[in-house]
Amino acid sequence: MADKIKSVSEVVRTIPSGSHIALGGFAIARNPIVVVHELIRQQKRDLTLSQGVVGLDTDLLVGAGLVTHLIMGGGSLDRFGPAHCVNRARETKSLRCEDLTSLSVSFRYLAGALGLSFIPIKSLFASEILERLEAGPGASDVKRSKCPFTGEEYVLLRALEPDVSFIHVQIADAVGNCQIHGARWSNDEQAKAGRRVVVVAEEIVPTEFIRRSPERTVIPGHRVEAVIHQPYGALPTCVHGCYDYDADHLRLYVEHAKEPRRVQEYLDKFVLGCRDHWEYLEKLGGLPRMEELRADPISGY
Amino acid sequence: MPVTEGTKGSSKRSDIRASEIMATAGARQLRDGEVVVVGLGLPEVASVLAKRTHAPRLTTMLETGVMNPSPKDTPVGLPDSRAFYGATCLTGFLDVMGMNLHRGVVDVGFLGALELDRYGNINTTLVKDESGKIRYVNGSAGGNDVASLAKRVIVIMRHEKRKLPLAVAHLTSPGFAGGRSRQELNLRGGGPSRVITDMAVLGFDEKTHTMSVLSLHPGVGLEELKANTGFPLHIPNEIATTPLPTAEELRLLREEIDPKGVHLK
Repeated sequence: MADKIKSVSEVVRTIPSGSHIALGGFAIARNPIVVVHELIRQQKRDLTLSQGVVGLDTDLLVGAGLVTHLIMGGGSLDRFGPAHCVNRARETKSLRCEDLTSLSVSFRYLAGALGLSFIPIKSLFASEILERLEAGPGASDVKRSKCPFTGEEYVLLRALEPDVSFIHVQIADAVGNCQIHGARWSNDEQAKAGRRVVVVAEEIVPTEFIRRSPERTVIPGHRVEAVIHQPYGALPTCVHGCYDYDADHLRLYVEHAKEPRRVQEYLDKFVLGCRDHWEYLEKLGGLPRMEELRADPISGY
Repeated sequence: MPVTEGTKGSSKRSDIRASEIMATAGARQLRDGEVVVVGLGLPEVASVLAKRTHAPRLTTMLETGVMNPSPKDTPVGLPDSRAFYGATCLTGFLDVMGMNLHRGVVDVGFLGALELDRYGNINTTLVKDESGKIRYVNGSAGGNDVASLAKRVIVIMRHEKRKLPLAVAHLTSPGFAGGRSRQELNLRGGGPSRVITDMAVLGFDEKTHTMSVLSLHPGVGLEELKANTGFPLHIPNEIATTPLPTAEELRLLREEIDPKGVHLK
């Protein structure tokens, strides 16, 4: 089978502005930062982003002003602080936000992954989340209805089928068989709902290695269009079994993200001012810093 | 306020932090053999304490797709490897929140809240200042799902008037919204059963679905509690005193579960 390994700039060039992109990160873990930086460098605009629980990946793209529609279940940068750029964009109404819950976003991906146009759920009732969706940003994506068999009341959710799903994984082979270690949040259904699936892998392994533990393969190669090989590709977020989050850098990011004018300062230095991810990693402290963050093989962090 | 003597084996109130009383009160709400979905912070601390004391067969889950973790080194959040250390199953949202919570096998949802009203409605989405200006915060994540679907919900939070308003600024996760029954609200889960604060343990009156005082922590008076609550509380005839943590519970909390005192401030 043909090798699917591509550079991030090559992959991002194929993504038109206005695309719906699903991001596989969760708060401060396994964010596809290498892809997010390249989307910012190539200034892909008018994006729709979807994610179960947002993290640094989404906050960066919103902070860069590239997102017009956000579909999410909430989120933050955990103990490091709120997702300032996302929250601010909502306050200033500079983007359309479908604020759901993590399970309802997962269900919408599941529907997409199964080829269903909608899915019923028993969450959301009696909440302002539902009322706000119905009144505005999600009016065409949610509907109350009864089960045709039992008469039970449900909220029906429209399926999500992202144009491209980007998932950061620990290992993949050259044709895209991927193994994710640790908790996977909505990555399985998010990947499989995608019209196109692109993975970022910390390590490329021979297919023979995948065959030794095929039960760990979460995304099978035939669904994957491209594999981006980027060690430390999720920094400053963590990748279980590979490296810990860079707490210093996350704090520095939050300090910048707090103030609109300093967001650009951050982007100029760490994104636009870097030719590629390797140059960015140098700014984070290079090899000595990466050695400090390298995970203990037993604990995974 | 005089310090109330604890039961046998308990320590003195003056040596014990309110967060430690909260964690212990939370743990005691969990029964052995139950299935619990927890958030990080005090809910997780309480569930670990329950597991290491009276409820060894408790099944704990994190929404990210984690079952039975033994969190280590104070995780910064749910996706931190420290949060799922030693887990017996690592999977995803659809498994924990779909095939367990939505399926109806989760006995307890253990949540925090930014604001909570008399009907147990939770706000974790936004705060409004006096001029009405909105500031967004974290949102639901799995909170609304847990509140909608768990058989019963326990909320653990600080007791402040502004955090316990007459009406929440945004109804993120429903309790008995509008004082109505869960059936009327089309919700499968049983709704809020306990609210554990740094002043009291509260429940809900069966008829009115309004918050009711069950026990006051040692040293807390009823008037003080009322003064720190933004809505009228249902006051039953008898109000107990919350039992203090035992020496062993305190040892577990301080030496093993949160040695850095991140959650037990």
